[in-house]
Amino acid sequence: MQAALNWLDDPEVFRVNQLPAHSDHHFYQTTTELKQQQSSLVQSLNGTWRFNFAKTPAKRPIDFYQPDFDATDFDTIQVPGHIELAGYGQINYINTLYPWDGQIYRRPPYTLNSDSLVDGLFSDADDNTVGSYLKDFDLPDSFQNKRTIIQFQGVEEALYVWLNGHFVGYAEDSFTPSEFDLTPYLQAGTNHLAVRVYNRSTAAFIEDQDMFRFSGIFRDVNLLALPAAHVDDLDIRPVVTNNYQSGVLNVSAKLSGDATDSATIKLTVTDANGQTLATQTQAGQENVTFDTLHFDQVALWSPKQPTLYHLTIETLAADGQLLEIVPYEFGFRSVELRDDKVIYVNNERLVINGVNRHEWNAKTGRAITMADMQADIQTMLDNNINADRTCHYPDQLPWYTLCDEAGIYLMAENNLESHGSWQKMGAIEPSYNVPGDNPHWLAAVIDRARSNYEWFKNHVSIIFWSLGNESYAGEDIAKMQEFYKEHDDSRLVHYEGVVHTPELKDRISDVESRMYEKPDQIAAYLDDHPAKPFLNCEYMHDMGNSLGGMSSYNDLIDRYPMYQGGFIWDFIDQALWVHDSITDQDVLRYGGDFDDRHSDYEFSGDGLMFADRTPKPAMQEVKYYYGLH
Amino acid sequence: MAYTNEKLHVVFGDGTLGLQGPNFHYLFSYERGGLESLVVNDREWLYRTPIPTFWRATTDNDHGSGFSVKSAQWFAADQFTTCQQVSVTVDGQQLPELPVAPVNNRYSNQEFADEVALTFTFATNTVPSTPVTMTYTVKPSGQITINAHYTGHTDLPELPTFGVRFTMPTTATGFDYTGLSGETYPDRLAGGVPGTYHVDGMPVTPYLVPQECGMHMQTKQVTVHRNTTQNNADQVAKPMALTFTQVDQPFAFSCLPYTAIELESATHLEELPLARRTVLGIFGAVRGVGGIDSWGTDVEAQYHIPADKDIDLSFTIDVPEN
Repeated sequence: MQAALNWLDDPEVFRVNQLPAHSDHHFYQTTTELKQQQSSLVQSLNGTWRFNFAKTPAKRPIDFYQPDFDATDFDTIQVPGHIELAGYGQINYINTLYPWDGQIYRRPPYTLNSDSLVDGLFSDADDNTVGSYLKDFDLPDSFQNKRTIIQFQGVEEALYVWLNGHFVGYAEDSFTPSEFDLTPYLQAGTNHLAVRVYNRSTAAFIEDQDMFRFSGIFRDVNLLALPAAHVDDLDIRPVVTNNYQSGVLNVSAKLSGDATDSATIKLTVTDANGQTLATQTQAGQENVTFDTLHFDQVALWSPKQPTLYHLTIETLAADGQLLEIVPYEFGFRSVELRDDKVIYVNNERLVINGVNRHEWNAKTGRAITMADMQADIQTMLDNNINADRTCHYPDQLPWYTLCDEAGIYLMAENNLESHGSWQKMGAIEPSYNVPGDNPHWLAAVIDRARSNYEWFKNHVSIIFWSLGNESYAGEDIAKMQEFYKEHDDSRLVHYEGVVHTPELKDRISDVESRMYEKPDQIAAYLDDHPAKPFLNCEYMHDMGNSLGGMSSYNDLIDRYPMYQGGFIWDFIDQALWVHDSITDQDVLRYGGDFDDRHSDYEFSGDGLMFADRTPKPAMQEVKYYYGLH
Repeated sequence: MAYTNEKLHVVFGDGTLGLQGPNFHYLFSYERGGLESLVVNDREWLYRTPIPTFWRATTDNDHGSGFSVKSAQWFAADQFTTCQQVSVTVDGQQLPELPVAPVNNRYSNQEFADEVALTFTFATNTVPSTPVTMTYTVKPSGQITINAHYTGHTDLPELPTFGVRFTMPTTATGFDYTGLSGETYPDRLAGGVPGTYHVDGMPVTPYLVPQECGMHMQTKQVTVHRNTTQNNADQVAKPMALTFTQVDQPFAFSCLPYTAIELESATHLEELPLARRTVLGIFGAVRGVGGIDSWGTDVEAQYHIPADKDIDLSFTIDVPEN
């Protein structure tokens, strides 16, 4: 199969040869590796790559993936990282309007009664910068005779992959891991990996988040070695029973590899103290379903007491040799939307003391580190923040585990935001909205819902799936909700944009979600036969010196059981460190400071923390009010 | 001169009125419209006369809601309000006219009083204008009580703030205050913990775009620390302090190196001038910052400063012991 450049122009081409999304479990070859959390089955490709930047697709080095390509004039770049922050391509911050507004006239394919694609819409566009990355690697001994997968955890906005001159695959969805099977193309000795990253594709219409617009390989890249019998996917379903005292656990796994059918699969469940609660073995097969496990007494997971249980799945060869061990931390908690139209978690009314969190580091943009994530968790705990909405895309994989461990509720949001297609200078104008009811855009958004679900389905901290942000609402988003409802009865579904299409409220969102609603309007809703519990998916817009008047929202918590709190906008300012030659100081810069136009300037400075992670003075107010409930 | 009679020494100058005690020396300027010099232990505390202040540097929410546009008259008033009238009261008796030559030819260098008060009346540079008075009442101890009064007017826009601004000649090394922790505003003070706090330097809260910042609500007392002067004959750094104390009601204050208009003029922190003064604002009314959104929704009504109501602010400046 050959790569086609015009996939960039087609909303129905968004994954080619990608492996299916699956749970985010780790896997190890030995129990020693597990104890050390250092898997010999994972090899990082982070670091220095060779790199070429082209301002347009026409200027890209076309044959760069050929093994005999002469790349001596290539530069180098650090992976992970944004191309723009490495000095290639202009940095731009813009909110709702598409970043090409006033520069290039574009409409999404298949809208405005058009039944065809637009040739060259992105594939031959003056604003579509291209990064061509090269990386040579040798496989370690631990990878010999195993299937080898490459995993890109985040690439904006479209990537093509080649290995040793062979086309491997194509992916969109910038904030979701993309995996490809390299096994057929590996060679002995050094392997030549080539990755082409386009700044824009049709995905740009549905990735219009209010943020700095970057491109490049901005999250980890790993090679994965799959043992002869490997757990591809793990589905852990803990259910709280018996008046919140007991628990039922259903575990199933999907396996692959030549040794699957001859393997034995052993499940072990232990409590937080390491005491074994249950073990069970099953014969290896493609789909393994363990018998239901019952636990008379379980400690529930909650923000106040985030109790986690531990399980391992050991895959044993016919001769008893351990092929793979998979650990997972899981928890028991219930989420119920009861007849009184109030959401309860573990039989207690849910009060969300939440924040919206973009991934941000003022030096590296959205390429953040584990230390950044750990610092964010600590800041939340220090200030009584009990919930995070992953605005407006799936976060890095470790974030979900950190929230499980710390006791932070998650609203896990899809990578979907299309406000440029319907929100124009504050007015609602959905004439070319995508995804809308458009059948040509449906598969892409369902795929995003599926990926978000499959990767994160085992995380106890997630209590809501969120369909996306500010994308208006139509049949396609209704079908995203259907996807979640078909796959998950342990969580609720959230979406705010249906406020604009109330006829779809029965099919979209379990909650009445609004953004920046005034306290008296919330009271008016709750006083007038409300159909759903209310939450603020965004409120208390903390731009600059702000966060006044929080008491009016706090009062609603006591007045209305159906008022379930909200997520402050937002957690951290988005601004970038730049060296100012005038003062010879490092200073924080925002939109427009890079001569980028159109821009929304300082509008990205809405955090409870400054961009360098120091708390704003308003944080003490958050700590106070969020400490009351 | 030995101050053994526990009275204020009054010096009736031709352009200024001097009030002196054992370790203080104040000059009120009739031309400058206020207290021109506040010397304690031979060191100057004022760069220019204190003036009534009305503006705050536009916050992002002020910008979004259009507040600064609606209340822009107060920007001019903050910068250009002038003193129209001065009156002097000695021991409760208001002098019939300003005691300058030839009226003051009847005085000597041996004039003493138990209390001297000066009232400076300003006319705001607004349409319509409204009177603002600042009265300084000085006791033999050197204690100054300042009463600032804003006269409400129904035809004026809501005020961003109302207070008295002191500009000191050099930067403060820090300040101590008794009030609420952190930066607080009328609609954002529930998290402020009452106590006594020390702040090093004069931190400008590093909002991406410089704006109103550093307010401390419900303050009983603030002491500003400096250790340098502009006096060429006094170049050895040594600590000095001046204390501002509430009279009846707590006040709000901010202690920054910049005026509201300096903050207003910068789009980034690095554009602010080098810090070289201390700008201490003591406020009797502070507008809330708001928080519902940043593109139109106003601050909640109870946190506005209506223009049609009078505002009074009183506090003292106390001279420390030698």
